[in-house]
Order: sequence, then structure tokens, then C-alpha cells
Amino acid sequence: MSGLRVRTLAIAVLAAAGLAAPLVWSHPFVLHVAIQALIWALFAASWDLLSGYTGQVSFGHAGFFSIGAYTAAILTKVAGLSSWLGMTAALLLCALVGLCVGFPALRLRGHYLALVTLGFGEIVQLIATNCENLTGGPFGMHDYGTFTGLPSDPLAQRQDAYVLVAAIALAGLAIMLTLTRRTNAGPAFRAIREDQILAGSLGIDTTYYKLLAFTLSAGFAGLAGALYAYYIQLVSPTVGSAAASALVIGMAVFGGIGTIWGPFLGALLLYSITEGLRFIGVVYNLIAVGAVMVVFVIFVPRGLAGIRLHRRGRQQRADRPAADAAS
Amino acid sequence: MVEEILEFLILGLVLGGIYALFAVGLTLIFGVLDIVNVAHGEFFAIGGYALYVAMVVLGLSPAVGLVLATVVVFALGLVVYPLLIAPLQKRLGRRAPGPLFLVLTLGLSALMQNSLLAAAGGEYLKVPPAVKGGLDLSFTFVSGQRLLILIVASLGLAALFLFLRFHRQGMAIRAVAQNPAAAQSVGIPLGRIFTLTIGLACALAGLAGGLIAPLFSVYPAVGFTLTIKAFAITILGGMGNLLGALVASLIIATVEALSVLVIPSEWQNAIAFGTMILVLLVRPSGLFGKKQP
Repeated sequence: MSGLRVRTLAIAVLAAAGLAAPLVWSHPFVLHVAIQALIWALFAASWDLLSGYTGQVSFGHAGFFSIGAYTAAILTKVAGLSSWLGMTAALLLCALVGLCVGFPALRLRGHYLALVTLGFGEIVQLIATNCENLTGGPFGMHDYGTFTGLPSDPLAQRQDAYVLVAAIALAGLAIMLTLTRRTNAGPAFRAIREDQILAGSLGIDTTYYKLLAFTLSAGFAGLAGALYAYYIQLVSPTVGSAAASALVIGMAVFGGIGTIWGPFLGALLLYSITEGLRFIGVVYNLIAVGAVMVVFVIFVPRGLAGIRLHRRGRQQRADRPAADAAS
Repeated sequence: MVEEILEFLILGLVLGGIYALFAVGLTLIFGVLDIVNVAHGEFFAIGGYALYVAMVVLGLSPAVGLVLATVVVFALGLVVYPLLIAPLQKRLGRRAPGPLFLVLTLGLSALMQNSLLAAAGGEYLKVPPAVKGGLDLSFTFVSGQRLLILIVASLGLAALFLFLRFHRQGMAIRAVAQNPAAAQSVGIPLGRIFTLTIGLACALAGLAGGLIAPLFSVYPAVGFTLTIKAFAITILGGMGNLLGALVASLIIATVEALSVLVIPSEWQNAIAFGTMILVLLVRPSGLFGKKQP
């Protein structure tokens, strides 16, 4: 077997063991942390698809997450739909909202795009807080139940929820990775990030691909929001706060922006670590996230994804130029 | 009705003074360093906390408290460039920074806001007004604190504009804003100018935080909404345009104050965000334009 095969196999075994660990060590708290870490991981990967990989920086991604969560909660509570339909609706609606936000954003770049998306996130939060008859106001929504068809025994319910969330989050990650590595969209996204004008002059339909990135990214963020809504069973306006957007960006920076799997892994680890720190104090984990962002941006620009166990001369991996540009 | 409008206009003017102190600094940093300081609101919050410590904990006079708030935040602002921004600039070299400075200041914001939360707790701290009494116009009463805000904000902004216009260092700041390479080639030390610029901008935010503290309470996240609002203001005024930011502050604050007559107050914040999105879509260079997006 070649060295690469061995490495792939080792990574696969490690990932499988990591994923199975919460089922083996089925402590409710471990499952609780693992489920939320997976939700954040999907959310972080979705942010990276748009902001890291395509270079269209969103500072209001929690807005999409929040819309997804409220869509799921409202559809299940008011219309009595199953969680499957709720999740599908959240995905589709957020994709549509992403498309709508993407259109005006086509003209904007860099700082300006970041500020518009920040404004978008704040407006979503204002609507969630103030449209009380739809969203329940500042106290949010609850009593709409969890995923459809889970057992009622608390531990078994949590175990099944874990399997479900893990399957959906990994499927989302797989779709995003396949899209960026195996289709024309990947190089197009990267070309837009590197130099939009050059990309356009090479015949890449930048409008189409930017809108595609916005739509997919928002859709997956919304799906993550729906998972959150059904697992936590409480959605309040703070779900979509700018702090949540900042947190997801911090996770992505930690994992390594522009690689998609890096932010996924980064969110898993950072969320688990900060939840561990919760025993010390809830404030400190947020201080830690801020410190991670500052330190990693300056000193570890490629994040965890950029750390190689053994250097082998020139790297030829697809994500290498991505991380270079991001750094 | 006319009296009501006048009353809200005065409130808007006072609020506009605070917005202006804040937004002019934000836009100054953008104009000189090409960086959007997401952590600006945290310097504002520290100004409020400094006043609280000076007046309530140490029992100093309000005037000393305000000076202290400004000086403390100025000192904190001075270390931002050498400690955080310069290392990142150095690492990047000539490569395009992309979103990295935004992420850096966003991280700084999270770090500072939660450090405040850890140090001071989440309570809303009350600070006594700096001046008692007020001005009794026949139709409305303007409290002394509001008058103080108007006067000090005007003085602070006038001092900044005079400094930038006539002082050697101020002129150097303007030169760097116009063309960093040319400024450097005539012997202006870029690093020192960047340091001073962020220090000055933060000092204004600290002063604003101290001034408004007696009207609003002081709490860790007090500055963050203001930061987002100030983004709206700087965009409306044209990013990097100081005078534009001043005018836009007064416009947004007045419209916000008057909006209470028409729409429910909980939607007040939507005005700034809506304006920002609208301006970016219709005329991204703002009312008085400077930098192109």
C-alpha cells in the first residue's frame, strides 16, 4: 500500500472512532456536547463554503441559522409538520433567502459585503424579537417537540438524535466537499476568491457561481439551524445574534478557512473544548474563542487544517492554494 | 406637535453628538489604515466603565472621571497597532489581506467584551449624572447631562478637526490617508502614525462612552450595537470621510429620534441597518463619497 493510502485509511479509522466514541461512552452530557458540536460543525462548514472558499465574507451567517431554526419550529408548532419536512423547508427557505441576499451582494466586496451581511443578521434578530405573534418575541419558541420518531427514553432519544444529527451533518459536509473537489464549481469558486475580474475574463460566470455559493451556504446554515431547533427544542432571538456569527467565524479560523473540512473539524474541537471550559465559567470560553481568533489570524493563518504531521516537500493538495490565499 | 418635534430634535442632536464622536473615529481608522475596527464599541464600553470606576468606586469628580476615561481608552488604543495589527501586516507583506483584519478586530471585540463580562459581571451599572439641573425651555426640559454631551462632543470633534488640519502630526495623518507610500517617502513614519490614529479614534470612543454612561447604563455589550450603527453611519457618510461621518451621525440620530413619533420604538434600530443596506445597494460610496467599494 502506498503512503497516501495508509494515511487515508488512518484518517478514516480515526474519524470513525471519534464519531463512535459518544455512542460507546454514552453519558448524556457527552452526547449533548457531541450533538451540538456537530451542528456547529455543519454551520461552520457552510460559512466557509461562502466566505473562506469563495471569498464572499458573511458577517451575518447566524441570520440564516436563525431563519432555519425558526422555520423548523414554526412549521412543527403551528402546522404540525414532521421534523423531516421542517428540516427540508428550513433548507429550502434559507437557500432562497441566501439567493435574495446574494443578489444585492453581487456588487459588493470585502468590507462592504461583510457590513451588509452584518446588517442582514441584525435585521433578522430584530424581526425575531419584535414579531411576537409569529416568533414568540424575546422569549422565543418552545413546546414543539424534537425530531419525529425518536424513542421517549431520554438516553435512547439522545443516542438516536446523535446518530441522526451526525448523519445529516456529515452528509452536508460530503456534499460541500464533493461539490468543491469534484465539480467545476470548486475551481470557479476559488477563481472568484482569487481575482473576480480575472475569473470573469476567463469565461467563468461569476454571477452564477457567487449566487450558487450564497444559496448553498445559506441552505446548509439553515439546515444546521433546523437541527438546532429540533435538538434544543427552544429557539430565541439570541440564536441569530452577531455573537453567534462571530463564534462561527472563530471556529472556522481555528480549523483553517478555505478548506471546508477544516472549519468542520475546528468547530467540533473548539465547541467541545469550550464546553469543557464551561465548568470553569461560561464567560471564559467566549474569551477563549476571541483569543483563538486573534492569535490564529496572526500566527496560525492556515488553522488546524494547515498543520501537517510530516512535511513532504511541495504540497499539491487542492486546499493548499486556498489556505495560501486566505493567509 | 411642533413642540414634540422640537423636543425629539433636541434629543436627536444629543444622540448625534455621541454617534459622531464614535463614527468619526471609526471612519478615521478606515481612512488611514483601511481597516474596519469591529472592536470600536468595546473601547466605548471601557470609557463607560472607566467613568464608573472613577466616579462611583473612587469617588472622583465627574470632570476628572471623563478625562480619565478618555486617557485610559487612548492608552489602550495605542497598543492595538503595535500588538495586533503590525504583526499581521508584517506577515501578510504585499499579499491581499482579504477578510483577515475584519476577523482580527472581530476576535478582539469578542475578547474584550467577554473580558469585561468576566471582570465586571453582566449587571447594568448606574452612573450618576455629571451635572445636576438643566435647561428649562418652555416646552421641554433638557437635562444638564444632555447639554454637557452636546458641548463636550462639539469641543472634542472641533479639537480633532483642528488637530488634523493644523498640527504637524495631524497633517501627517492626513498625508498617510491620502497616500501611504508617498507619505513614507517624505519621511513620515507609518507605524507611529497608525498607532496614533487608532489611539485618537479610541480616545473619542472612550469619551463618548463616558459621556453617555449616566444616560444609559454601563454593561459589557453596550458598545456592540453602537458599532453596527456606526458602520451604517460611516457608510452613509462615505467610508473614510470624516465630515461625511459627522453629518451622517446627525442625520441618523435625528431620524431615529423623530421615528418614535411614527413607528414603535423597538423598530428604531432597523432604521440604521436599513439605511446601511439601502445606501450600499444604491450608492455604495455614500452621500459624500470617498473610497469606492
